[in-house]
Amino acid sequence: MNPAGPALDLDLPMQPKVLLVDDDEVNLLLTSNALRQRNFEVTVAHSGTAALAMLAADAPDIIVLDAMMPELDGFETCRRLREMPGFESTPVLMLTGLDDEASINHAYQVGATDFFVKTPQWSLLAGRLRYLLRSSRTRIELERSKAKLARAQDLARMGSFEWQAQRGFHLAAEALRVFGRGPHERLDFIGVMRMVPHEERVIFLRLLRDVIAHNSVLVTDLSVTLVDGRHRVVHIEAEPEFNEHGNANGYTGVMQDVTDRRQAEDRIRQLAHFDALTGLPNRRQLIWRVERAIEQARRGNHEVGLLLIDLDRFKIINDTLGHTAGDELLIEVGRRLRSCVRHSDQVTEGMLETIGGHSHRSLEAVGRLGGDEFVALLPEITDERDAERVADRVLEALREPIFISGQECFVTASVGIAIYPRDGLTMADLLRNSDVAMYAVKSQGRNAAALYTPMLAGQGREKLELESALHKALERGEIVLHYQPKIDVRAARMVGAEALMRWKRGGKLVPPGDFIPLAEETGLIVPLSEWALKEAARQAKLWQLNFGFADSIAVNLPSRMFERSDLVEHIHHCVSAYGVPHRAIQLEITENNLMKDLQNVIPALHRLNEVGVEISIDDFGTGYSSLAYLTTLPISEVKIDRTFVRDLGITPQSSAVVTAIIALARAMGLRVIAEGVETLRQMDVLHRLGCSLMQGFLFSKPLPPEEVEQWLAQTVLPRKAPWIARADADPAGEISGGIVLDELSNGSPRPLGSRR
Amino acid sequence: MTNQNSAVHPVSDTQSGPCLDPQSLARLQELDPDGHNKLVERVIDAYLKSLDKLVPELAKARQTPPDFNVMRHVCHTLKSSSASLGALQLSERCAEIEQMVRNGQTDGIESRLDLMLEGLVEVQQALTTLLKSQQ
Repeated sequence: MNPAGPALDLDLPMQPKVLLVDDDEVNLLLTSNALRQRNFEVTVAHSGTAALAMLAADAPDIIVLDAMMPELDGFETCRRLREMPGFESTPVLMLTGLDDEASINHAYQVGATDFFVKTPQWSLLAGRLRYLLRSSRTRIELERSKAKLARAQDLARMGSFEWQAQRGFHLAAEALRVFGRGPHERLDFIGVMRMVPHEERVIFLRLLRDVIAHNSVLVTDLSVTLVDGRHRVVHIEAEPEFNEHGNANGYTGVMQDVTDRRQAEDRIRQLAHFDALTGLPNRRQLIWRVERAIEQARRGNHEVGLLLIDLDRFKIINDTLGHTAGDELLIEVGRRLRSCVRHSDQVTEGMLETIGGHSHRSLEAVGRLGGDEFVALLPEITDERDAERVADRVLEALREPIFISGQECFVTASVGIAIYPRDGLTMADLLRNSDVAMYAVKSQGRNAAALYTPMLAGQGREKLELESALHKALERGEIVLHYQPKIDVRAARMVGAEALMRWKRGGKLVPPGDFIPLAEETGLIVPLSEWALKEAARQAKLWQLNFGFADSIAVNLPSRMFERSDLVEHIHHCVSAYGVPHRAIQLEITENNLMKDLQNVIPALHRLNEVGVEISIDDFGTGYSSLAYLTTLPISEVKIDRTFVRDLGITPQSSAVVTAIIALARAMGLRVIAEGVETLRQMDVLHRLGCSLMQGFLFSKPLPPEEVEQWLAQTVLPRKAPWIARADADPAGEISGGIVLDELSNGSPRPLGSRR
Repeated sequence: MTNQNSAVHPVSDTQSGPCLDPQSLARLQELDPDGHNKLVERVIDAYLKSLDKLVPELAKARQTPPDFNVMRHVCHTLKSSSASLGALQLSERCAEIEQMVRNGQTDGIESRLDLMLEGLVEVQQALTTLLKSQQ
């Protein structure tokens, strides 16, 4: 009878709101009073219709309905209120008669929460109401919690599942959703397995057997293809469940669609392991693959091929067409290269371990090391010919022109090949040696492939040492000029000298052929040339002082020096510094160099000519000079190449060429000088053909400057050399040359073979 | 649970008459122990007023053809409200009729109704007396 203490109802509102519906005024009065006394806030309604109208205005916590009412009885009222939104789960207590079983059943049918027999025992009613409120609250909280869970699972694309010995495999609605199924669709274990690709299914079932055998936790990812064709990755975690006897009798767990996360991870992996421009494996990924391939090759006792592919002259394309075009080109090259091998983009550690056998084949790929350097990895080759075949495919693939920004580009590559284990046991060794082989290709004219050999490595190392030493040679004063006199054989006197660069390295002389190309390649040729000009000017002054030298010293310059806008100024500085005239310096440029860069060189030639610096064309006759150009060039001298001189008197062609050159030079008013003259016979022939200016070992090898003075003093002036005697004895040489020229000018040259 | 607990206007057997159960009346009084709400008067008043409506309804239902549903409803209402006021015998009579109608057992219902109405008059008089004594 005592009102319930508030302590018991901490989880309920202090004053639960009750709507009391009864047509009997007496009952309403009594019940409402009794409930108010027990801390309920009571609203009364005298009919079902009135009650429904009141609900719309204010929602009670609980409704008490008299079952028997005229018009709208309690059952119908209950049925209707359940249809009103928001009242689906409000607790409804139906008041019925004790003896009225039909009413009780009816009450439940229309959605009443409970029934109660009318009694003046008010405490019982109040107790029942509180009980209903509590259970209703619990139920609401449960439903909310379930809804929250469902929503959370929905957001997380997650759902639970059970798998029990008796009840089988059961997916919760949210889990069904993960698999793209509706909440009422059926999906059994086999149905799930059908969505998994065969290979992965085999692996999964093996794992599952293992897990079940050990009652261990299952954690794995599974790829599935949904009914609509979408590919998803589902993460599964399950724990074993045990019955009262401690025996495992099933699994419960959750599955989650982790496709997005996996894709993000893949993207990260992609960025970390693949080159952003070409999409090919990057250096890091290549290193990883090569190391794996080496491991597998060691186990399987087979060979691995590594091809280093370097584009030829890519820098020129980049510089002339721009970086965007260069990038486009790299993308296209990457695409072509990848078609040369069985390229696999994706390789995972797991795949290598589990599939075994020939899994290392999946390592095969073309990757980009950086810049214009690519690598092709061949994880298993029978022998080096396999690698060479791929290299040939690479070269062939690049043969077709590449269209970049509307232009046709021709790209070639130099390919260096290294083979594991023959050429190296580690990634670093293989890469270095393929690099050595690739450089060998470059130095031999590019657009080819070469296998590494230890001999190449020697050359490579030497070259590297040479390069670093050459850098220091100038400042250490190791570079010197030697001079080879130019002779006029008619007068038997020196008419000038050609300065030739020599490198005194550790007491030895490095031949020019060994360091000049390297200097040109590295750009060191520029400071070397500048130094040579200055040194030649200094020497001219010295000789002028020592023996009255008034001719010129010829300095060889590469064409790139002529392209420098400051060349004329530089020469001006040099000659001014030592007080010699400009003509004390003569410049020699090879015919090939001149023709290669003709347009860029011509302006410099004109300016040099204007200040009095004469230009000599070296190695004349070996290139493909346009005769038309020659006539317009401001040159003063042509030097007949040593190869024609060498063969003079041996092959008739040589004298024909020499004759023609002399005739041409004469016609154009140029001086002709022959170099590489080594025998008296050659001298005689040249002289007879009309060329009296010569240079060569017959007269003197290139000498250090002081020795030139000695040579003059001890050989030329005393007229002691054989060639001087000969020159003195044949003063008609000039005439014989004239004869030949006359013959040529008649337009009827002798047949080439007739001199034999 | 006894009359001694009631602070004012204890309801005695003499006031209520033999047709009203004193215990029920006492329980009724407990709902308004100090009488501030004049609950007893209001309940009795409500009961008597409901009779003004129910008795004519019942009379009408007894005409030809008889409306058993109305009879049943009137008896149902009277059953519980009479019990609340301690008119236990009347309440039982009402319950009996209600049950008969529900069971479709209409034979002899007229005499039962008469008997019930006689009791009702008694209760009505007793309550009127009680009401006056309360005022």
